[in-house]
Amino acid sequence: MTVFILLACLGGVLVGLSRQLNGRLSISTTPLIASFWNHAIGFAALTCLGLFVGGLLPAGAAEAPWYAYLGGPIGVIFVAVGSWVIARIGAVNSALLIIGGQMVTGVVLDYARDVPASFWANATGIVLIVGGMMVSRGRRKAGGSQ
Amino acid sequence: MTTEARNSHPIYFIGAFATGGLLTFMVHLNGELARYGNPLFSSWTAHGTGIIAAIILLLVVHRQRTPMVEKAPNAPLWAYLGGISGAATVILTSTAVNSPLGLSGTLALGLAGQVAFSVAADSWGLFGLPKRRPDRRDIVALGLVVTGAALIILFGRGAA
Repeated sequence: MTVFILLACLGGVLVGLSRQLNGRLSISTTPLIASFWNHAIGFAALTCLGLFVGGLLPAGAAEAPWYAYLGGPIGVIFVAVGSWVIARIGAVNSALLIIGGQMVTGVVLDYARDVPASFWANATGIVLIVGGMMVSRGRRKAGGSQ
Repeated sequence: MTTEARNSHPIYFIGAFATGGLLTFMVHLNGELARYGNPLFSSWTAHGTGIIAAIILLLVVHRQRTPMVEKAPNAPLWAYLGGISGAATVILTSTAVNSPLGLSGTLALGLAGQVAFSVAADSWGLFGLPKRRPDRRDIVALGLVVTGAALIILFGRGAA
């Protein structure tokens, strides 16, 4: 169990690491070029892994709906904007806002798809997230504390 | 590596929040692909279609604007390895999801890892990005967002 907990935490660390590295690359190139390399290097690594362990072309894959393939193009935008933003507002603010956006749209999507959800937990969560984003944004007006 | 002035133009905040929203759809779509195939196939395909999309976008953008000059000096080689880190994430999280932790446990712990890394990254200016010592406001904001996200992940979404 401890191993799985460590794996899950490490997964989050790698998300941050990826954004940090892509952000650094985007300073020397452009966010879109950083996103291109992110996908090209990731694809190469996954190809090697797939050739090694197998499973790159699973049987049922042909039945997937066409729109399921749009995750990749969306990812290009996601990585490009993340690289653009992290170099300007820092890792903490980027993480905070991206997590906020992900959570709020996740809740909206659940309700749109009629997935049963706990209203009060979601509503309280969204209030806290929006509050957190307002605190983070309010910095400048507060008179530049550092 | 000095502490830089914070650039808090609203466009960056709106952009970050909006891509967080895109992430929800991306996770959903990649999950669909993994359901028909497997997580490795899903991530591999998403990276492959991503390359094509990036090339198309680059052609469009570069045709319209002349590429910028006067950039920072060349990126170190390690800056190109963000894709490896991203690809490894898929393997770790799809392993953790299929453990007793489940989806909500994996998401919540991943959130913790991401937050801890981002605080460290800003505090020390890790990997060539500007150092921004997180102040009390940052920590309060982060605390609120993380608590809210944990509530949604652990008690709100999909009604357990």
